[in-house]
Amino acid sequence: MSSGSNGARRMVSLLRPSIVDPGVCRSCQETLGRRSYASAAPAATETTSTSASTTPVVKPAYTINAGVVLSRPPQITRDLEPFEKSYYFYQKRLNERLALPFTKYFYFKRGTPADEDWKKKILERRTAARDIGKYNAYDSEAWNDELLLGAKESEPEHQVEMLLQDAESTANATSQDTSKKEEIPRPFPRVTEADKKNDQKSLDRLLSRTLYLLVQSKEGHWKFPSSPVESGETLRLAAERTLAQSAGVNMNTWMVGYHPVGWHAYNPPRAKSDKQTEVEVAGSKIFFLKSRIMAGQADLSVNTQNLKDFKWLSKEELSKYLNTQYYSNIKNMLADR
Amino acid sequence: MSMHTSLRRTAATITNSTTTILPRLPTQPTATTFICSQCRHATLLRRPKRPYTFTQLITLSDGSTFTHRTTSPAPIYRSTRDTRNSLLWNPSSSKLMNVEDDEAGRLAAFRARFGRGYDVNTPAEPVDPKDAAAVKEKEAAAKAQADAEQEEEDNLLDLISSFGQNEAPPPEKKPFKK
Repeated sequence: MSSGSNGARRMVSLLRPSIVDPGVCRSCQETLGRRSYASAAPAATETTSTSASTTPVVKPAYTINAGVVLSRPPQITRDLEPFEKSYYFYQKRLNERLALPFTKYFYFKRGTPADEDWKKKILERRTAARDIGKYNAYDSEAWNDELLLGAKESEPEHQVEMLLQDAESTANATSQDTSKKEEIPRPFPRVTEADKKNDQKSLDRLLSRTLYLLVQSKEGHWKFPSSPVESGETLRLAAERTLAQSAGVNMNTWMVGYHPVGWHAYNPPRAKSDKQTEVEVAGSKIFFLKSRIMAGQADLSVNTQNLKDFKWLSKEELSKYLNTQYYSNIKNMLADR
Repeated sequence: MSMHTSLRRTAATITNSTTTILPRLPTQPTATTFICSQCRHATLLRRPKRPYTFTQLITLSDGSTFTHRTTSPAPIYRSTRDTRNSLLWNPSSSKLMNVEDDEAGRLAAFRARFGRGYDVNTPAEPVDPKDAAAVKEKEAAAKAQADAEQEEEDNLLDLISSFGQNEAPPPEKKPFKK
């Protein structure tokens, strides 16, 4: 705005010469400066001072890495909040009062066993619906549609159980063979064996969440599978190769796109120089590509990337295993659920 | 521009025509829809014409379930064919692959008699060492057959070349029966 702030900017740029690049516009320079101010500013100044003494023209370069964010999408819908459960239950009883009454004779022929069974059940539960408990929208008590505290009629599991019991009793009442009891298999539970054992290598864990593949290097730190991009290789090819070399080929995966969804820059405290080319390496930048697993399982037995362990973790669990800087860079590219 | 002027002209004509319409005579019938703007008595609020809906549990062929609202009074619907057991949606599923199991040996008998020309898919290349041995055997058989055919051809050539020179040699038995 004013000459004063311009002067201040100039002062800042003089104080932090490492950030200033003539090819970058001023606002970008400021954001870059702000970003590295907290964490990497001392390291950056140090690298520039050393490079200025030896080779003032060549800046230390970053190695480009391709990373794979391999995820298993949620398999089931999320659990409902208590408020949502009671809301849906309220809507069901309200619908009893608003919709037309059930036209029984359109669906059940008079005098058939199914018709007799239906009449018996209506006397019992006083409404055509099976999942709203004892409630009649047509009598004088129809206004009293609220559940008491602790009632389980609004639980989805209870409603499914009511449907199954009704189907079983109908099958038993209308079948000719009275000796045999009809058993309808219950749906699989939402909590699996792997959930109970907390088996973090299993893909059957946390069915309503997205799971991400995390690998552990021989040194012991956890990361997404990543490796340097070789010459003449695109980012996506490198990501596919990384996945095959780290987690094996026994997986049916699908790369979502050709562009990275996020990136992370690793700045070591001291810039190392490459032994062969004598070019200083400032650190590494990892560009993450998104991928989905359809079938199969990760297998590190034949990996060539110095990995020793893997885990399938949800977003919250990732933060416990990853380095703080790494996690803060990747957390926004992961799905919330 | 021409569009503009024409539109304007039509609008102008409409306004002209509306001004010339005479007011309605009181003997003409009024609108059929009854709008009660003045009456104050309580009216019956009719139920909307919405059919009664039940909650139904759908079980897909792989056992996954979900509930939905439907007019059908059946509490459970079990589907036999859906995306979960269709090969189109599960290209990597080995369960759905067209693997033929020949328990009675009828398929093998058919193939022994008529060959594999009727197969929908070409037989896959064997990978096992046992199968590799079978391939070698088959190659050897093919070579033997080729040799036999060559010999037969030679015999025929002999027959042609020797025709009319002297009495025909007694017809040899074919060394390999096809």
